[in-house]
Amino acid sequence: MSKPLDLVQGTLDMLLLKILAVEPMNGFAVSQRLKQVSGDVLHVSDGSLYPALHKLEQEGWITAEWKTSEYGRRAKYYSLTRHGRLQLEKEADNWGRLSSAISRVIKLKEA
Amino acid sequence: MRPEHWLFTIPLRLRSLFRWAQADQELDDELRDHLERKTNEYIAKGMAPEEARRRARLDLGGIEQTKEKCREARRVNWIQDFVQDLHFGLRMLRKSPGFAAAAVLTLALGIGANTAIFSYIDAWFIKPLPFPHPDRLVIFETQDKKHGWTSGGVTSAADFFDFQKQNTSFEETVAWTVSNFNLTSDGSPELVEGGRVSCNYFDALAAKPILGRTFTSEDDRSGAPHVVVLSGGLWQGRYAGDPKIIGRSISIGGEAYTVVGVMPGTFQFPLMGVANLWTPLALTDQQRTDRGNVWSPAFGRLKPGVTLEQARAETATFFAHLSKEFPQTNTNLTWLVSSMTDRIRTEEGGPEVTICFAIVGLVLLIACANVANLMLARAASRTKEFAVRGALGATGRRLARQLLTESMLLFLLGGVGGLLFGLWGMRWIESQIPGHIRAYIVNYGHVDLDFTTLAFTAGITLSCGLTFGLAPAFGSSRLDVNRTLKEASSQASGSSQSARMRRIFVAAEIALAAVVLISATLLVKSFIISVRSSPGFNPANAMVAQLTLPRTKYTQDSQVRNFSEEALARIRTLPGVASASVASYVPFGGFGRGIEFEVVGRPLQPGERQGAPFTAVSRDYFSTMQIGLVKGRFFDSTDAYGSPTSVVVGQTMAGQLWPDEDPIGKKLQLGEQRTLGTIVGVVNDVKIYDLRQRRSWHIYVPMAQFPSRNLAYAVRTAGDATTMDTAIRDAIWSVDRDQPVSSAPMTTLIATVDAGNRVVARLMVFFGTLAMFLGAIGIYGVMAHLVSQKIHEIGIRMALGASPAQVMCMVISQGLKLVLIGVGAGVLVALGATRSLATMLYQVAPSDPLTFIAVPVLFAFVALVACYVPARRGMRVDPLVALRYE
Repeated sequence: MSKPLDLVQGTLDMLLLKILAVEPMNGFAVSQRLKQVSGDVLHVSDGSLYPALHKLEQEGWITAEWKTSEYGRRAKYYSLTRHGRLQLEKEADNWGRLSSAISRVIKLKEA
Repeated sequence: MRPEHWLFTIPLRLRSLFRWAQADQELDDELRDHLERKTNEYIAKGMAPEEARRRARLDLGGIEQTKEKCREARRVNWIQDFVQDLHFGLRMLRKSPGFAAAAVLTLALGIGANTAIFSYIDAWFIKPLPFPHPDRLVIFETQDKKHGWTSGGVTSAADFFDFQKQNTSFEETVAWTVSNFNLTSDGSPELVEGGRVSCNYFDALAAKPILGRTFTSEDDRSGAPHVVVLSGGLWQGRYAGDPKIIGRSISIGGEAYTVVGVMPGTFQFPLMGVANLWTPLALTDQQRTDRGNVWSPAFGRLKPGVTLEQARAETATFFAHLSKEFPQTNTNLTWLVSSMTDRIRTEEGGPEVTICFAIVGLVLLIACANVANLMLARAASRTKEFAVRGALGATGRRLARQLLTESMLLFLLGGVGGLLFGLWGMRWIESQIPGHIRAYIVNYGHVDLDFTTLAFTAGITLSCGLTFGLAPAFGSSRLDVNRTLKEASSQASGSSQSARMRRIFVAAEIALAAVVLISATLLVKSFIISVRSSPGFNPANAMVAQLTLPRTKYTQDSQVRNFSEEALARIRTLPGVASASVASYVPFGGFGRGIEFEVVGRPLQPGERQGAPFTAVSRDYFSTMQIGLVKGRFFDSTDAYGSPTSVVVGQTMAGQLWPDEDPIGKKLQLGEQRTLGTIVGVVNDVKIYDLRQRRSWHIYVPMAQFPSRNLAYAVRTAGDATTMDTAIRDAIWSVDRDQPVSSAPMTTLIATVDAGNRVVARLMVFFGTLAMFLGAIGIYGVMAHLVSQKIHEIGIRMALGASPAQVMCMVISQGLKLVLIGVGAGVLVALGATRSLATMLYQVAPSDPLTFIAVPVLFAFVALVACYVPARRGMRVDPLVALRYE
């Protein structure tokens, strides 16, 4: 397995929004899911995950709720808000355009 | 960001602001939950529980750091941090009240001095003159293009009225003079200063009366009924604010004047000085058409849209034309047109105010450097505290912000103290300015803690706080946590960088203090020299009583002569009077007169004029005033009414007119009547209006031959002059009870003239002392800190056999190096800077050697004493204690 890639600046927010768009979950689960779906390619340290989640919460894109976890403890569950959904659409849209533009450039035939 | 988004997020922010304790608890729970799950995951993978827990923690990258980052993600964090920092800062200040008091007091003195002086800068240079559209006000002066002299009066009355009629640039042109008025009705007679003015005087200044009206052109005709406008001050005082004053008749110099208006108390014209009342000029036709004599001062108001250059061009053309038309009187003469605002600012004390401002600016810099130094020293001794905080997750920025908050707190407290001290300073300066010269102060009565001054104080407080507060903040943000914590010594010293910064601060501070001290010493020395300089007569034990006889009652010269001689005779017989004399004017007695003259045998060119201050004196004037005879004789009984005119001239005048000849016996033609006079004596030069006055010419004539309605009795008393005040006045009143007499000791008259310089000198003594004191504190602080940091080193040295004297030498030589660098740099800067003081110095060179040697030596000595105290502490270090301290 190759070394995990560092995230392109600013895409972490989008990924977190997308993951939370599927279902509400707590911070630990978010980190697990991120590794899972990206096939261990994307690596987000726990140390930067939580500040990022808190930022999204402050922006009002996700909201948090305290539930009792399977361990019988209070755990914080994040879910996407309406604003978060709009933001996700916007960012996904931007990302689509950016990545297709980059792919087109990369696929240029060398003369 | 979209507005509705803001609406949505504000409650979130508020929540994190006001319920931050809860938010923090939740953050704690969340991370704990995470750690638990992660640990379980690692255990499930087959890791030992201890190892699993460690890995989970490592993954999180330090719990406290992550927490702090999460807190930062909540954007309102800085408000919390600020409140927290503020709490903490206040606690730190309370814990070290000595440091806090020293810093706040230093800043309060520095900021307060600046506030007080700035309020005058504001009045002089920032606030417009207290008249509407002051930019359109200009003053006129006469210039002789050939000989280069200028005169405050305009060329002549006829020129003025021609110009007034024909010019197209000016809305108004106004002539004015100052005059003394005898108020003889309503209570005891009083001599007051006032103005005779063109009828449009108030209109040109756009000043409105609070009662009645100002003048009309009808009032300004010769022979028109006498009218007078009163100042608010005179109305409130002498006339007790009588609301029915308009239309009332008051007696001025024995004539009836109708009061037509009262001006507000704030109205003043800085060029005129104190004015209690105004009357129209009301010139006769003959006076209006006189083209031969320099006339009164004049000013004008430009029409809207006319520039100063256009007005100057028109004026120049007009006078070029006049000098062709009237070559006898107007050759080479023209008017200068200059902005009234500029003129007032540069002439009336402006340079003094500017110098004071520059000096207090330096004092503030010294105070700030001092406080920055104190803060650096504290920051250095708190290194360990910061290292611990850093280890617990505080970022460098966060630490710097806390330090900055602490220093801003100090500066703000200093600023508040400064406002109070500044307010007191303003009142003090005001109380030092005698009423007589207050009216010359631009915007007097508007000097206050107004918005501009408040903004200035707030501005300097904040900018100094930011600039100097950043210094310690920077030092600590670059802290190397590991290294500091490893330095087990409780004497953890600050970084060498911060120590170097402190030395630079102290050296700069000492240099600035040296500049301030040298400048202040020069100004004070100049003041002392001018005060001690002989005015040319002896002012001690001399009383002066002045009055002006009204033309209406004393119509004949013989009446004037009788009065002056009778009163003099009665004063002479008073017990306690050593000798008495009378003159038309005494030095420092107000406005004197000048006279034009021509030396017989040396005719003047057309348009050329020659004049000198002129005084008619009684026989014993010179002996009473103790003015020394240089050559020839004083006036005596042969210089009586009807005998040939004798003249006594001043030494400089005689020396310049007849450098190689004997002036005795030379003849002069005096005044318009071209009275022929023979010089019989030469006397010492006398200063007449300013102690800093350069040598000037003077002409004396016998009063018996030149009777004067202005009478100044100069009385030499055997004892204290002030006790004779009433007796002298009663003696004059025994001749005519109706004449107001103003009397004062000669020393008081001189002190009044010198009041402005006296205020500046006192301020300089204060600022100089303050600068020296602050400089000494600065060096003391640095040396004390140095010694406390080097206790360990000193202990080792002493254990190895260094004597206390050697230790002392080591400490003092370090301090001495800083002092010498600072003082040396200060002297160099001062050599350049004091040149700008040249115009304000009297008989002191800007590079006065004594000042430039004595002040640095004195200052270095004081600084050394400041080093000595901590050095002695170093000397007493017990090596055992110092080493065990490790």
